[in-house]
Amino acid sequence: MKLRMQITKEKDIRFISHLEYIRTIERSIRRARIPAAYSEGFNPHMKFSLASALGVGVVSYTEFVEIELSEPMEVQAAAAALSKALPRGIKVLAADAVDTHHAALMAQAAGASYRVTVPYTGEVAAAVEAFNAAEQLLFKKAAPKRKEKFKEIDVKFYISQLASHRQDGEVIFTFDCKITPGGSMKAVDLLNALNEHYALQLPVEKADIERLSLYRLDKKGQKCSMLTADAVHM
Amino acid sequence: MDKDLTIDILSSVQKPARYTGGEFGSIVKPAAETEVTIALAFPDVYEVGMSYLGFKILYHLLNKEQGVAAERVYAPWVDMEAKMRERGIPLRTLETDKALSECDFVGFTLQYELSYTNILNMLDLGGVPLMSADRGEDDPFVIVGGPCVYNPEPLADFFDFAIIGEGEEIMVELMDCYKAWKKAGKPGGRQGFLQEAVKLPGIYVPSFYAAEYNEDFTVAAVRPLADNVPATVQKRVVKDLNTVDFPTAPIVPFGEIVHDRIMLEVFRGCSRGCRFCHAGMVYRPVRERKPEVLKELARKLVDNTGYNEISLVSLSTADYSCLAPLIHDLIREFKEDKVSVSLPSLRIDSFSVDIAKEVQAVRKSGLTFAPEAGSQKMRDIINKGVTEDDLMNAVGAAFASGWSSVKLYFMIGLPGETDEDVLAIADLAKKVQYKYYEVAGKRGAKVTVSASSFVPKPYTAFQWFGQNDLETLRRKQFLLKDALKVKNITFQYHDAKTGIIEAVFARGDRRLGKALLLAWQKGARFDGWSDCFSFERWQEAMAEAGLDIDFYAARERGMEEVFPWEHIQPAVDRRFLRREWEKARAQQLTHDCRRGSCTGCGVCQKLGVDIIDWGRGEA
Repeated sequence: MKLRMQITKEKDIRFISHLEYIRTIERSIRRARIPAAYSEGFNPHMKFSLASALGVGVVSYTEFVEIELSEPMEVQAAAAALSKALPRGIKVLAADAVDTHHAALMAQAAGASYRVTVPYTGEVAAAVEAFNAAEQLLFKKAAPKRKEKFKEIDVKFYISQLASHRQDGEVIFTFDCKITPGGSMKAVDLLNALNEHYALQLPVEKADIERLSLYRLDKKGQKCSMLTADAVHM
Repeated sequence: MDKDLTIDILSSVQKPARYTGGEFGSIVKPAAETEVTIALAFPDVYEVGMSYLGFKILYHLLNKEQGVAAERVYAPWVDMEAKMRERGIPLRTLETDKALSECDFVGFTLQYELSYTNILNMLDLGGVPLMSADRGEDDPFVIVGGPCVYNPEPLADFFDFAIIGEGEEIMVELMDCYKAWKKAGKPGGRQGFLQEAVKLPGIYVPSFYAAEYNEDFTVAAVRPLADNVPATVQKRVVKDLNTVDFPTAPIVPFGEIVHDRIMLEVFRGCSRGCRFCHAGMVYRPVRERKPEVLKELARKLVDNTGYNEISLVSLSTADYSCLAPLIHDLIREFKEDKVSVSLPSLRIDSFSVDIAKEVQAVRKSGLTFAPEAGSQKMRDIINKGVTEDDLMNAVGAAFASGWSSVKLYFMIGLPGETDEDVLAIADLAKKVQYKYYEVAGKRGAKVTVSASSFVPKPYTAFQWFGQNDLETLRRKQFLLKDALKVKNITFQYHDAKTGIIEAVFARGDRRLGKALLLAWQKGARFDGWSDCFSFERWQEAMAEAGLDIDFYAARERGMEEVFPWEHIQPAVDRRFLRREWEKARAQQLTHDCRRGSCTGCGVCQKLGVDIIDWGRGEA
């Protein structure tokens, strides 16, 4: 049996790294006394995973953790126990249980929805329109671990449509970003690409990035929830 | 979270989680329930400060008190400091974002002399006047405690008062005293509170004392200025550790800290009597916790933290009287929970290796031993009580059990040391390598030799000793480096310069406050971090303050000389230390009093406490 829970990474702890987030979840599972399965051997590892990696500074309302259990546990009880064992900045929103051999959530994630808020008084409507009409938008993203320092990507492959609106001296962008087995792109690179192609001066370093949802696609290509229909909502 | 630490600031610094708090187990008290706020201030980065057991204990203990909010603050790393100064953001606590200037107390722990400039820097960043004389009615009381408090004199200008000794009882008394003073309408203002606080045993108010000096620059006396001030302040000590609270729900940080595991304190104090060791003198006497108490604490700690490792900590855990049965029980108890047990250090004997075998299971990560010196003569001088045979038996047992790498800790620059004694370190390392060949029948044992430069500390037998000068230490390092150019032996050492400044402050007096301030003004901070330390800066600061580095560090002190710290009392008798100094020179050993007869350090008698050792059948 595999427990799957939708959890958050809220504003107050947005600056913990992905690795720190993973360690925190693992310790919370132990504190919650959820009967997680462990690998064999002298250095046993807890069998759990997160559905996607989140950048430092990015807030999320839909992270997913999957925990392989060594013995069954009721979904509601497990979710309640984990809630109590998590630090203030992480909450459990929903949970379900599937068979151990059910495909990993990480493999099923097809995309993520984002909201990006930046302080900006300049005009962005034209840029958004041009972006939406463009066939392709090439961008060299930094790839510090590779030999060549940059990797060219087509932003439009990941993000086909972009919406924006203005509020109190800020611009709020919303969009969906595709996740493929080969990876995805960072929300912050969308801003970099917009600045580069449309001569905007969005202050990228001040961007407040929130991941609103993570979703999979059904057979018809429609967005649907990562969890099953009988998931428990907290 | 501090609203001034905006997204652009936090995304531009290393390890931003250092500054945002919110960890599991952190305690945020509502303002309506808070009468007193104390910032527990650690003068180094988050990962170092979060590993300090003393503050885990005080955080837990003080937050249990009604009306008391104990919060945390660490030294911002240089990248964050630059941002804070650029934008005028004050240093604030992690729990409720209070600037240090808004707290009632800012309590620094003195762990290490080279963190003193960070104290000044944190006060400055927190909006607190640096000099206690400049603080007004609305400023916090700056207090200090911890191991270096047995000579707080170099910091005397900067703190309002010090807590001498163990904090469990006195800190609660102090909070009660403050609440009562506040409730009464703060009679007498700051001075009024200091007059109340000084009535508590274990509180030292430096402004209530004046230092006098001799013509030769040495200290003549440090005298109280009024009759109601004690001539000497004796340390506070907890009689029985089984009766005081130990934190069972400590904060579990998000990121990896230096000691990222459960720290279970099995006993306090050490009576082995190594003559260089400051902790071995100032934490006396030995007081063990009962195994049943420890097992109960361990269970709660595992359940509350989710950690998968318990480290049994103390100054010398292998000396715990019930260690083997305790470890058996803990391993059995926590097998299902996948919790391992570890020891921070090993004694040099095969018992320790057997224990290590058990706790490490099959993880052969290398064992560490601390013979401290290379020759028998030197080990006798420092009263280490270990022979070459002991070391060979221990490493032999380790190699026979499958380990193939060992780390050996040594000191150079000890009293009475000759070049032959230094070279004996290299010989010993090579003998350890050969032992592997004998035991395992093949070559290839990895031996790491780490040699630190000895710093004489107050309240040790070596407090009279003049530290080796820079040239001497460098020459000895060079000798050793040359002698250790051997395959599979790694030699580690530090620049001797930091040890010299450490020595100046360890045995310094009040006049050093001026140099400390000047060094900080010239940019000194994080002096314990080699990339931030500048010896030249310290030389300049000392010269401008009219002080001589050699006078404090390299000068052998007179047998009758009055030391700047003698009004602060860990209760170790000066005559005992002097006897130990003389025995060191005669290369004579002194036995451990833990399970043998009293060696006359005077601590138990003076403080009215006893050794508590469950193997001795005594409580």
